[in-house]
Amino acid sequence: MINKAGAQLSRSLMAIAVSLGICLILYIALVSPLPITLLVLAIFLGLIVMGERSGGIEKIYAAMEEHKGEALVVAGIFALLLPLLVSGNNYLLHVVVMGGIYSIIALGLNFQLGSTGMVNFAPAAFYGTGAYTSAVLAVKFGISPWVGILCGLFMAALLGIVFGFPALKTRGYYLSLVTIALQVIFTLMIINTDWLGGPNGIPGIPGYEIFGFSFRRPLEILGMRLPYQTNYFYLVFLLLSLAALAASRLYNSRIGLAWNAIEQDEIVAATQGINLTKIKLLAFSIGAAFAGVAGALYAHYTSFIGNEDFDFNKSLVLICMVLLGGMDNVAGVILGSLLLTIIDEKLRDFADYRMLMYALILIIILIARPQGLLPKRNRKYQIKQDNNEGYNVTVTAGGK
Amino acid sequence: MLELRQVSTKYGQIPMLMDVSIKINPGEAVCMLGANGAGKTTLLKTIIGMVKPVSGEVLFGGQRIDLWPSYKIIRSGIAIVPEREGLFPKLTVENNLLMGAYYESDKRKIAPRLEEVLTIFPRLKERFRQKAGTLSGGERKMLGIARALLAEPQILLMDEPSLGLAPATVNEVFAVIDRIKKEKKIAILLVEQNAQKALSVVERGYVLQKGSIILEGSTNELKENSVVKESYLSAAG
Repeated sequence: MINKAGAQLSRSLMAIAVSLGICLILYIALVSPLPITLLVLAIFLGLIVMGERSGGIEKIYAAMEEHKGEALVVAGIFALLLPLLVSGNNYLLHVVVMGGIYSIIALGLNFQLGSTGMVNFAPAAFYGTGAYTSAVLAVKFGISPWVGILCGLFMAALLGIVFGFPALKTRGYYLSLVTIALQVIFTLMIINTDWLGGPNGIPGIPGYEIFGFSFRRPLEILGMRLPYQTNYFYLVFLLLSLAALAASRLYNSRIGLAWNAIEQDEIVAATQGINLTKIKLLAFSIGAAFAGVAGALYAHYTSFIGNEDFDFNKSLVLICMVLLGGMDNVAGVILGSLLLTIIDEKLRDFADYRMLMYALILIIILIARPQGLLPKRNRKYQIKQDNNEGYNVTVTAGGK
Repeated sequence: MLELRQVSTKYGQIPMLMDVSIKINPGEAVCMLGANGAGKTTLLKTIIGMVKPVSGEVLFGGQRIDLWPSYKIIRSGIAIVPEREGLFPKLTVENNLLMGAYYESDKRKIAPRLEEVLTIFPRLKERFRQKAGTLSGGERKMLGIARALLAEPQILLMDEPSLGLAPATVNEVFAVIDRIKKEKKIAILLVEQNAQKALSVVERGYVLQKGSIILEGSTNELKENSVVKESYLSAAG
């Protein structure tokens, strides 16, 4: 009994240590200059690959799964303290805010790319739809950004459905081509619509306000003055937590199972009574809704949006985030998004060679670990065995 | 219960089924014998709505179902074990089984069903948390059948359950089919080339050749028939 409790405790401590370790790696990657960041990443990658070879990583996975609560609390506390840790460096906070925004989109994209196996090359179009919706409503109609976030969500989801319905008649590469077309159309439409600011974008987008407190004002807590990015950091952190919660609930539901089934064999999935159109459309529209929320956040964060924020390159970067982090793994996708955002920012020193370096790093990581940093796991077991009295089914969150 | 009336199907311009009429009563096991390319699989696809007939009607429980989308037909109580099982290799055995009960809206019903199915297939209980892709051929076939049973169908369609299995495993599979027929009292439509085996578990049968039903009758009648003897039983006999 004591032994068992001891083992429990040690696993719990391991989960906490790993969680803290990942936070520290991200933190070091964030604050250090480029060479150190790359070194830290290389060590991290090496640790994962070695752990996989020796089998030790399976123990860590098991401990993390068992003590998810502790691990999440540690990560949460770390995130809450981050603005203090970077001692109000507003540039670093900006990087983290962008990382959070991209994480939300990547989580949404993961429903299509990771779970259902539909390669969507247009996440930036959905992201842009959310951003433009909220920005236009605020600038031209004076509607509160809080309402704008909901409208952004709704519009992006609507675009997902309207576009997805005809597009999902195609499959595989052809679907990807159709999504590329959507992305190109979106960018061209923005550039050529004067009402949306055309190539000049939309300037002067108001920030969020709560009870008269503007998010664009510095935050003062306990006599400390933190830059205004701190407000946005907490907002993005909150929304990212909600998005991650929703994503993992979906993953463990029957819908998530149906998505995985479709990814493996669409025809067989249909013979199990899955309504293919509905379930695939769901992946599209929920993913788009996530991107829409992220877009609205971005618009009211930066106060200026233009077509170049939502172009094809951005879509590619978002896809890379999901690929790098690990398909169909919520934690992996967030990790991948944060890391790539940080690397992208660090590479600013290279100016013209930035994309080249970016691609190079990505290729090296994917050669070392083609399945992504945290790859897809066996789906969480849904049936528990109680005292050999048979199986107790716990199908979490149903739905057709 | 399930009835096809003068059903014809085409793939583009190529006719696959011509005026096929069959009828399966509740609780009855029926086999459909036919050579490669006779249209056996097409027939099953037509029943579950994956191929739409160009003429004729498919009736199930008194309702015309041939214009329904596939998922609706499946949900009305028809389960299929596809050719080569059609498992989800990267999902666990457990999740493959749960896919069978995918459309069951009352989740409490799933656990007892699973319990029941696992008593028929004890091997799957051992492999419960393994990926389906790691199973042997026989286990895969069993999983395919078990998954279909989890849907609690009124009729079970099976596409060549003996395909690609060793003779001993074929015997096991047919023993299971026989057991299902006796215990579960569901109708079974067995599409097969292995006539000897198929005729040992069913009550009636049809022979499909080049898209048409050329023969139908009880098991004994078919066994005595010269066409069946020559084409389907000679090698085995």
